[in-house]
Amino acid sequence: MIENAKKTEEKKEEIPKDAKELTIARLDVLPSDKKISVGSIGEFTKDELIERVEKGDEIGRKVVEIELNFLRTLREGSLLRDILAPDQEQELNE
Amino acid sequence: MSKTLLITRPEYDPATRYLSRWSGKIKEKAEEKGINVIDLSKNKANRKRVIGTLEKKDPGLVVLNGHGSESSVEGHNNETILKEGDEKAVESKIIFARSCKSAKSLGQGMVIRGVNAYLGYDDDFWLMYTESKISKPLEDKTAELFLVPSNYIAISLLKGHTAGNADNRSKILFRRNIEKLIIEGPSSDNYYTIRYLLWDMMHQVCLGNKNAIF
Repeated sequence: MIENAKKTEEKKEEIPKDAKELTIARLDVLPSDKKISVGSIGEFTKDELIERVEKGDEIGRKVVEIELNFLRTLREGSLLRDILAPDQEQELNE
Repeated sequence: MSKTLLITRPEYDPATRYLSRWSGKIKEKAEEKGINVIDLSKNKANRKRVIGTLEKKDPGLVVLNGHGSESSVEGHNNETILKEGDEKAVESKIIFARSCKSAKSLGQGMVIRGVNAYLGYDDDFWLMYTESKISKPLEDKTAELFLVPSNYIAISLLKGHTAGNADNRSKILFRRNIEKLIIEGPSSDNYYTIRYLLWDMMHQVCLGNKNAIF
């Protein structure tokens, strides 16, 4: 029973295949001289991040979450709406 | 009596090195404005010095750089410099913690218990940088996309803007960078940073008194 519960938990946390593939495809275009720092967890190259996504560990899941958040924001149009808001420049100059 | 800024700048790994060097710009701005700056850099960014300075010098603005967690902010070599229970030392102050997650629990608790305003991040702060620029962080155009907007929280506060306004102004700079990258398109070296800039911007928060002024 405990084993089953464990399996259910693991299954729940698994990254969906399409989200994983999408995130890896995006990461793959990242220039190889860039590194990404994630707080006290450490610094990662693109290859290391791809490996984490493939493994589906905490960092990998976070990378996928950030990618999906970005796509969701684009789909909703809120990012461009905010960017095109006309009062920003004025506010900065005050 | 002149205003006092306390800034911590631990420097022991690439992330803290970048935060420390870019925080030099906050320090310069404060000095330009005649503000008394207490700069606890490298091994001076330890708990004893930080708490002692908070209690003795009573700085109105506290800028903390370093790693963090939901319940703490760290200094040099990952030593905890601020944690739950330290509310008395930071009572009535404006805090900007450029560290991961600390606004989630520590910041929330602090504003309930007397901190005037707490600006920071309620999730991980992601920073992208160029490996070949590690020895010259200020020349790294990739890191600049992240650190100029977040620096602007402190710079706005030094300029006399309210905490809420400082948060908004910083977010405008994040958006401006995102917009620039969208216009440049996928051929830009930094196009991929958009998702992380967006993440940092969305998780940047101003807790407590949004009208607080330094």
